[in-house]
Amino acid sequence: MKFTIDWLRQYVDFDFTPQQLSDQLTMAGLEVDAVDELYRDLEVIKVAEIIDTHPHPNADKLVLCDVMVGDEEKRIVCGAPNARKGLLTAVALPGTVMPGGFKIKKSKIRGEVSLGMLCSAKELGVSEESSGIMELNEFNAKSGQSLLEAMGLQDILVEVDLTPNRPDCASVIGTAREVAAMASTPLKLPVDEGSLPTLSGSIAFSVDVVNPEFCPRYVARRMTGIKVGPSPWWLQKRLLSVDLRPINNVVDATNFIMLEYGQPLHAFDFTTLADSKIIVRTAVDGEKFTTLDGQERTLDASMLMICDGKSPVAVAGVMGGANSEVTADSTELLLESACFDAISVRRTSRNLKLSTDASYRFERGVDPQLAPVAMARLVSLLEEIASGTVDDDGVDALVAPIVPLDLALRVSRTNSLLGTTFSADQITDFMTAIGMEVSLADDDTLTVTVPTFRVDIVREVDLIEEVARIFGYNEISTSLPVVPMSFAEQDSGRALRKEATALLTSLGCYQAINYSFVSPEHADQLGLPADDEGRNTVSLLNPLTEEQSVMRRSLLPGLLENVRRNINFQSSSVRLFEIGKVFEPVADNVQPNEENHLCVVLSGLRYGTAPELHFEQSAVDLFDIKGVGQSLLSGLRLSQIVFSDNSSVAPYVDGAETLALAVGDETIGCIAKVGKECLQKFSIKQDVYFLDINFDRITALQQASKKFVPLPKFPAVQRDIAILVPESCPASDLVEAIATKKEKLLEHVSLFDVYQGKNIKEGFKSVAISVTYRAQDKTLADKAVTKVHQRMIDLLLKKFDGHLREM
Amino acid sequence: MQDALLRLQQEADTDLAAISNADQLESFRVKYFGRKGPFTQLMRQLGAAPKEDRPKLGKMANELKLALQGRFDEKKVDLVGSLAAAGPQLDLSLPGRQVPQGKLHPVTQIMEEICAIFEGLGFSVAEGPDIETDFYNFEALNIPAHHPARDMHDTFYVDDSTLLRTHTSPMQARVMETAEPPLKVIAPGKVYRCDSDITHTPMFHQVEGFLVDKNVSFADLKGVLRVFIAKMFDESTAIRFRPSYFPFTEPSAEVDIACVMCGGKGCRVCKKTGWLEILGAGMIDPEVFKKVNYDPEVYSGFAFGLGVERIAMLKYGINDIRLYYENDLRFLRQF
Ligand SMILES: [Zn+2]
Repeated sequence: MKFTIDWLRQYVDFDFTPQQLSDQLTMAGLEVDAVDELYRDLEVIKVAEIIDTHPHPNADKLVLCDVMVGDEEKRIVCGAPNARKGLLTAVALPGTVMPGGFKIKKSKIRGEVSLGMLCSAKELGVSEESSGIMELNEFNAKSGQSLLEAMGLQDILVEVDLTPNRPDCASVIGTAREVAAMASTPLKLPVDEGSLPTLSGSIAFSVDVVNPEFCPRYVARRMTGIKVGPSPWWLQKRLLSVDLRPINNVVDATNFIMLEYGQPLHAFDFTTLADSKIIVRTAVDGEKFTTLDGQERTLDASMLMICDGKSPVAVAGVMGGANSEVTADSTELLLESACFDAISVRRTSRNLKLSTDASYRFERGVDPQLAPVAMARLVSLLEEIASGTVDDDGVDALVAPIVPLDLALRVSRTNSLLGTTFSADQITDFMTAIGMEVSLADDDTLTVTVPTFRVDIVREVDLIEEVARIFGYNEISTSLPVVPMSFAEQDSGRALRKEATALLTSLGCYQAINYSFVSPEHADQLGLPADDEGRNTVSLLNPLTEEQSVMRRSLLPGLLENVRRNINFQSSSVRLFEIGKVFEPVADNVQPNEENHLCVVLSGLRYGTAPELHFEQSAVDLFDIKGVGQSLLSGLRLSQIVFSDNSSVAPYVDGAETLALAVGDETIGCIAKVGKECLQKFSIKQDVYFLDINFDRITALQQASKKFVPLPKFPAVQRDIAILVPESCPASDLVEAIATKKEKLLEHVSLFDVYQGKNIKEGFKSVAISVTYRAQDKTLADKAVTKVHQRMIDLLLKKFDGHLREM
Repeated sequence: MQDALLRLQQEADTDLAAISNADQLESFRVKYFGRKGPFTQLMRQLGAAPKEDRPKLGKMANELKLALQGRFDEKKVDLVGSLAAAGPQLDLSLPGRQVPQGKLHPVTQIMEEICAIFEGLGFSVAEGPDIETDFYNFEALNIPAHHPARDMHDTFYVDDSTLLRTHTSPMQARVMETAEPPLKVIAPGKVYRCDSDITHTPMFHQVEGFLVDKNVSFADLKGVLRVFIAKMFDESTAIRFRPSYFPFTEPSAEVDIACVMCGGKGCRVCKKTGWLEILGAGMIDPEVFKKVNYDPEVYSGFAFGLGVERIAMLKYGINDIRLYYENDLRFLRQF
């Protein structure tokens, strides 16, 4: 909603500065978005008088003009057809920067010196008029005067970001009403609402409202003797100031009054209306109709149309039709000032994808009392500016008498909801300040009569909001709620997620957040087969771009894109993780499954940006990601999750370097090296390792409880074994074999070296294992340890077909 | 023999005192304690001494050896210490052996900060689905089909009845329909709007909060938000409440804080107003209560919603919202 200060002053007197006005409106719930001085860049444009013209010696279409700017005479070359002796026009002198940024210089045009430029309205950004230079004689302008002053253009534009509940303020008068309440001054209205003509319907046309449920009121009058032409400047100026293009006096008058009162109006060329009839009815399915903008539109049975005796002539409350448009030759008009149902207009506007200033207002609600008022204003304006004559009578088709709403407002309820201590008198004062009528029903209850323009106030609570608004939200005191104490529950997954993110950051990983919607191409980049389940995604009906058109099934592609981006920006050592939702479709009109996943990606150097001084750097490998996984799982105390053979290797995974993460028989994730082909598709040239796990599945698991074990009282003995086993034998099997052997003295077993190469037989590797023995009740004797240890050695030799290697 | 022992002691003491480097230390060790050293020789000669003198002499020799060994060890420690001190000097300006650490995304950091403040006030934390039904996102919040307020929500649709939630407010209805007052809940999460420009990303984060009980007032809402803003920003941050409109609250308010960039004088960030809008709030509308079968005559409550990215921008001075979801390490490392 836009208006100018000068325009506002037409209806209300106030002393506020533009800044004060802006603050007051904002604090009253009419948030001011911008306050701008209009045409500020035109301050340097002057009025010039052409005192003589001469033909240009070298160009037929150019004229040499001798102009006076104040008392200075200048020669300016001009190509406008209306450049003539005696014309007052606008001049931009050398040094002037035009609204488009172009700087005027002293120049030579076809060999003739020109000391400036005579300007058209379009060149100055005043209007669209570009057929000639500006004509200022009718403004009583003086040569040398500033153009702003001469045309009365100086004004300040205010833009309000109107909330949908205040359609009454979608007009300059509506805003003025709020300002009048703030300034405690009366509202000055252009129409005396007490002396509106009675419209009884004895007329030269008929109005039939077939669907009154969509059209509670329809006021129509006929005018004859209309002379269509340009609007007077004051009217054009108002429209231009709010970025509306003047068209002709009839259309401009309807637009102006819509902005002034908030009542959309329409003028039909009366002679085009078949049978001199107006029928307000819903359309026939499939019916075609061409709107004023020249678009042919297909109607459906829910749309309310204004029709003549034969066919539609306007989409009710949205836009008129080309067939009944007012043209330069129109002399008879049928004027419409109606009230249409908000939902009906909104639905029609949506279905036609056609939103107009009229539909904007109807959708939010227009006061049905306004229709005859705006009609009176329109008639008088057209009498004044289009020399029309109105028929004595007209139509006011009103479905039901309009009765202002009476609401009960309880003082106690108001105070308990707001936390205030207002008296009935105070509340009465607040209400009357904004045009409500108040009477006392009982000690605690006021009866408030709501003016019809406040279409948003229909309940007691709406009145309570008005009490708060008029008193001032800021003035209401502050307290803290007194609520019985109870335990503040946490969402179940949240605590574990916080634990996991803390662990991962301590492992050197940065948290990423990617969009939940991704490109459908991710499936191709991952190399998923055509029938892969992972291609089954939730798609958006109205994505912003193709790249954000489906909900993700996996976090990995987003993170791979992050890896590439970071490499491109010279951060080639990347450790990122994301915990977020993936979405699996279930069925149409059913919410999809949402599962939290955790994905970690590692690429580049192991210690990233850490100084090489202390950390021997090399590229990350599978054991880095496995280590991250192990640290995470042990930190979360989830020992039931184990690494196992990955039996279902995804196409984007290097089959030689992957392990599944499993709980019992169920795979809940994996670690892997990203396959070469997939990396190519993501344009990544270095190895990337990832961990991907269903985090909701983890959340469902029981974290191991913390249980104390008494500290040992007797010393432990450590013995090592080095054994040569076939290359194919997994080293962890050896450790496992000892660990699972139920040996009473065994405390701990760990792998400490695996070696292949020099001095080791081809096809074999050396595995070194450290075993710790301890007795709970005595210091172990060497002999006893040796005995047990030998049993372990024998076990390994036998089970794994190994040989002892000299340590 | 006794004389020989005394001479040996004198000689050894002189030699010991003269030691000034590791080589001399080693030759001293070889000379006196080696296999061919004087003590070995003396022990051999002990056999030639009179039988009754042997224990005494043996003891003397042993004591002498032990004492010398002790003095030698002292000298060694002394010498090694002074040698080390004279060695290459440690450059203490070198960086410590700092194991690389990662960081949480700034949005998460702010979100946790917000949640922690409300948890401190006793609010529970609940989460809900990102893909919502039209019912919870709109209908339950008093935004029926064809309500102009739907224009305030540029909605991504999945189909006729499912959509990406445009706010975290659906959690009001979801929690209220399964629990009875008193309720104090916050609901953090991702939300989506079909809108992308320099000031909007199509996905962002909100924290919804609501409190429902008997006799909860607008003054209480002001009090709780005042505590939040004091903790989140600064105890002295000026706040203003001004009327606004949300279909699911009545009265509705926007809450502004004094511009953190210019201190309220007016700048580009606050569009010269000196104020920054940081959250929307209000008293829960009776229609919302009716939908979950709460009696609005018995219960009242307030709700508020805040944008996490916006607060992160204000607190950290981030001026380009696109950075949030590019996951550029140069960005992530800064917080
Ligand atoms: Zn500022």
